Amino acid sequence: MAKKTYDLLFKLLLIGDSGVGKTCILFRFSDDAFTTTFISTIGIDFKIKTVELGGKKIKLQIWDTAGQERFHTITTSYYRGAMGIMLVYDITNEKSFENIVKWLRNIDEHANEDVEKMILGNKCDMSDKRTVSKERGETIAREHGIRFMETSAKANINIERAFSELAGAILEKTAGREPGDPADRVYVDRRQQPSTTKSCCN
Amino acid sequence: MAYRARLKEFDDILNQDVIDLNSLRKLSFQGIPDDQGKRAKCWRLLLNYLPLEKEKWDTQLEKKRALYKQFIEEMVVMPGEKESNGDVTMGDHPLSINPESEWSTFFKDNEVLLQIDKDVRRLCPDISFFQQPTEFPCLEIVNSNDIKRLHTRVQRRVLNCANVERKGLGITKIALSVKKACEDYAPMAEGKEAHWEVVERILFLYAKLNPGQGYVQGMNEIIGPIYHAFASDPDILFREHAESDSFFCFTNLMSEIRDFFIKSLDETDHGINKMMNRMLVQLKNSDMDVWLRFQQLELKPQYYSFRWITLLLSQEFPLPDVLRIWDSLFSDESRFDFLIYVCCGMIVILRNQLLSGDFPSNLKLLQNFPPMDVQDIISKAVELSKQKIF
Ligand SMILES: Nc1nc2c(ncn2[C@@H]2O[C@H](COP(=O)(O)OP(=O)(O)OP(=O)(O)O)[C@@H](O)[C@H]2O)c(=O)[nH]1
Ligand SMILES: [Mg+2]
Repeated sequence: MAKKTYDLLFKLLLIGDSGVGKTCILFRFSDDAFTTTFISTIGIDFKIKTVELGGKKIKLQIWDTAGQERFHTITTSYYRGAMGIMLVYDITNEKSFENIVKWLRNIDEHANEDVEKMILGNKCDMSDKRTVSKERGETIAREHGIRFMETSAKANINIERAFSELAGAILEKTAGREPGDPADRVYVDRRQQPSTTKSCCN
Repeated sequence: MAYRARLKEFDDILNQDVIDLNSLRKLSFQGIPDDQGKRAKCWRLLLNYLPLEKEKWDTQLEKKRALYKQFIEEMVVMPGEKESNGDVTMGDHPLSINPESEWSTFFKDNEVLLQIDKDVRRLCPDISFFQQPTEFPCLEIVNSNDIKRLHTRVQRRVLNCANVERKGLGITKIALSVKKACEDYAPMAEGKEAHWEVVERILFLYAKLNPGQGYVQGMNEIIGPIYHAFASDPDILFREHAESDSFFCFTNLMSEIRDFFIKSLDETDHGINKMMNRMLVQLKNSDMDVWLRFQQLELKPQYYSFRWITLLLSQEFPLPDVLRIWDSLFSDESRFDFLIYVCCGMIVILRNQLLSGDFPSNLKLLQNFPPMDVQDIISKAVELSKQKIF
């Protein structure tokens, strides 16, 4: 157990309103299964999966957070260490889409500045109940310069791809840096950069 | 015949005219038998729902059950009354901006309801109990052509957002017609009601009556086991009132643990952070090696014990084990000190694995507690509680 069986370690975080399907997405990714009956997440959950990317073994440490407001103080404390964040909404739930802006603001406030972000419009298998069009998802992602994808944990659409794209983006960023603890390196670099996100928001 | 003897011990205490609370606590702490509705009976006493004087029970039960009926009438049945006659020409209508408007309350309630609805459908998925119909549905509600079912209200609400602006007609009608088309959750037939619908109502009433807290996720995991115990009482006279009785027991229990659920109280004496700290201090006293290891790995108590403490361990174990643990927790005179010991006991029992594990494997282990005899955990907790160090 103590031996290192991977080359890199990436910490990812899943956020978004309660009930959008964060736990199901993670479960699909880690266990390749779907159950409709998931207990709601209280606080924070944790899973690991090792993937291969660009010839490297990458261990993904994925934190699944609770969506409800009450848990924000506990969940935002995890933002800092995250190298990638998946922001999930539910395409059948307008409110969860509107709240994307709020979640993005949370990221700006609490996460590292160069954290890789990705927006996921989940439950795309339920086209008959859709209230948020794909275009609206694409638009908001473009506005913020973030990757976007529609997913379905149930029908297993784009789940694998979402994680490997996010991991790929982080890999690109860390590649070319000196070996060592990648997380620390990123952290140091970041501090010297002027804040770009915050100035353009207000 | 140790079991028989145990049952008799309970009977001896419960048959007294005035219940000796201390003896009851001592006995229940060892676990309450699953049979004969003993657990429900004891919990009603341990959670201060029933007074110790037996002669007062009937009046207390009558009073409380009537009160609960009134709550339903006022907060679930009546609001729908106004809505279903569909007359929106009066001052109070769905688009009214008057904050006093009953419609405004109606929509605010539905926000709460939406969250409750998501959670009660996800309650104890490992057993089928909550999916099954109750023998004692609320008749006024289940015979209302679905109109008064709480979850009907939220399904409607979601659709309202999409439809109301465009058409500007009477909301109820549009939504109702759409609803029929896209129901994905097997609805109970008219006249029937599933246990999860009952739990939904309990939580909704609690949120209405305690606006300072409203509904917080996880409360479903607290009411779940209580309602389950009460609704499986073999005594039909009690089973019939499982809803109201568990509502009041839940309310009493929440009055002791509600601070865990309120963000602004995190740092106060009874807030969740204090509890997690107490647990950590206890762990340091009980098992310095594990404590040091956690320190080293930066494995913070928030990562695992937040849920343990907030939910009184209800998500960590299968329901029968949860019931057994709660017997002890509810018998704890200084609630919830024993909870801290149980949490530490859970950690100490896994010490060998935890000492050799790295951060991810330890965290996984703690978040997915391995199956084991719950009695071992309780014994360990008792052992820790006896070795007072500070
Ligand atoms: N049709 C469909 N349903 C889904 C999908 N993903 C999740 N769900 C359903 O949505 C519900 C909520 O899913 P969860 O994964 O528990 O939601 P969550 O975001 O983790 O919610 P919290 O833990 O409360 O923050 C579940 O009952 C799932 O059945 C999907 O891709 N398609
Ligand atoms: Mg979840």
